[in-house]
Amino acid sequence: MFVGVFLLMPAVVVFQKAMVRVDEPKAPMIEAITGQFRKSFIFSTQISAITAVLGVVFGTMVAASIVRLGHRRGLRNAWTGYSAVAANLGGIPLAFAFLAALGMQGLVTKILKTSGIDLTAMGFRISDFWGIVAVYLYFQIPLMTLVMLPAIDGLKATWREAAANLGAGNRQYWRFIALPLLLPSLIAGFLLLFANAFAAYATAYALSSGGSRLVPVQIRFFLQGNTITGKTNLGYALAAWMIIFMTVSMTGFLLLRRRTERWRR
Amino acid sequence: MKRRNILAKLVLVVVGLFYALPMLSMARFAFQRIPVALLGWHNFFDKWTIKPLFVMFENPQFRDSAWLSIRLALLSALLTLLILVPTVVYVHVSMQRARPLIEVMSILPFVVPAIALVVGISGAFREIAPWFIRSNYSLVPFYVIIALPYTFRSIDNGMSSIDVKTLVDASRSLGASWTRTLWSVIIPNIRVSVLSASFLTMTVVLGEFTIASLLLKETLPLILAQSQGQDPQGSFAVGLVLLIVTASLLGFINRFSRRRNIAQPVAML
Repeated sequence: MFVGVFLLMPAVVVFQKAMVRVDEPKAPMIEAITGQFRKSFIFSTQISAITAVLGVVFGTMVAASIVRLGHRRGLRNAWTGYSAVAANLGGIPLAFAFLAALGMQGLVTKILKTSGIDLTAMGFRISDFWGIVAVYLYFQIPLMTLVMLPAIDGLKATWREAAANLGAGNRQYWRFIALPLLLPSLIAGFLLLFANAFAAYATAYALSSGGSRLVPVQIRFFLQGNTITGKTNLGYALAAWMIIFMTVSMTGFLLLRRRTERWRR
Repeated sequence: MKRRNILAKLVLVVVGLFYALPMLSMARFAFQRIPVALLGWHNFFDKWTIKPLFVMFENPQFRDSAWLSIRLALLSALLTLLILVPTVVYVHVSMQRARPLIEVMSILPFVVPAIALVVGISGAFREIAPWFIRSNYSLVPFYVIIALPYTFRSIDNGMSSIDVKTLVDASRSLGASWTRTLWSVIIPNIRVSVLSASFLTMTVVLGEFTIASLLLKETLPLILAQSQGQDPQGSFAVGLVLLIVTASLLGFINRFSRRRNIAQPVAML
């Protein structure tokens, strides 16, 4: 009976999600990746990929810096603590914060302007591509930091010393020893970040007042009105494609993570 | 070596600025009554006020939504515990085989993004149970699900650190019922996990926008997004408060769990 009750509840959950896939015939699935929606998918993919790449680069740099200065416990705790918080931020308040900083009338925009850099004249808009990238980085970088910290911690000092004994310089050490060891973590982190950005909705919505071309925002359009006759199932199809994207990248993440755990301890 | 330490510090300073500046800008915008265009060093310390916050609280629509969000947060936390604690105990005691399955299930909410979930919800329930969608509390089960990857980890880690099987056997053989075993044996032993699971659920609920907005429920984030136009200062101020509340809930979890060495607030790490 216990099995029934408590395995049933998660099962119902899975069932509800399966609904998403039940509802669409083939045609909308194809429609969803052609024409104007193809552009949304490309736009979303570009945003996710770029924020993921930048997140990987900066997140790893931060993690490496923290490890390097790790003899100060307080510093490390403060950074991991804040990263854990920031990685979970998002949504409306985060969008507000960035509007206040980098919006047309933002404080940072103003500071940069007085020091000679005119963001607005350079064509920067917070609701545009690079604006969204900047905002997403706010939760991508800390997430990557948290992913990479244990991996970089796992690089043992003895390996570095062994390399040095064999005559390897610092650069050679990173290129031939650290990088190959970290590579699975880096790729796993990339996939996680990609998925994370791909699913983000509230932030994008608040930044652009709903006018964005990102896939999640496009789906909203269908849910609210069912405006275009004959395309009612398109929203489901878009959602289904999103799930497919997510499944692929999350599966990759989990497989790679299993691989990286081999090097721990 | 010296030079590389400087590089490391530089990285931290730059990224630190990137973390801090948006928050500071938001605080300034919310609590200082000077438009950015007129701002300069000469008036940087003038006209700071927390009035926007109070103005916002006088708005009945805002108060309703805040209250709704709080209720949803508490209910979701409660439901999470009601479902998760017995399930995880059961898995630990007699269904080790089901573990991989449960773990996969706990990650599923990541694979189905909120926006896709909401499409599924409205597709599934609009016809068979419209009353369910219309109720404000229909959000609770979905919030429980969204928070599942985080909460499952937290409870599971807590239980892994104690010997559940022995405790349950001991308590059962002394004649305690299952409810009593759970309530007075298991829960006190994992109270840090229970606490952090509830906090995690609450942070998820307080910030959730996607599902609420598409099911047209007037929760706090939704009202914030709406009132951005009419009263930007007020909504930014409340947004800031919301951020601080979220951050301190997560900070608490972090602190507790570091002391006990369990449960990261970020799922799956």
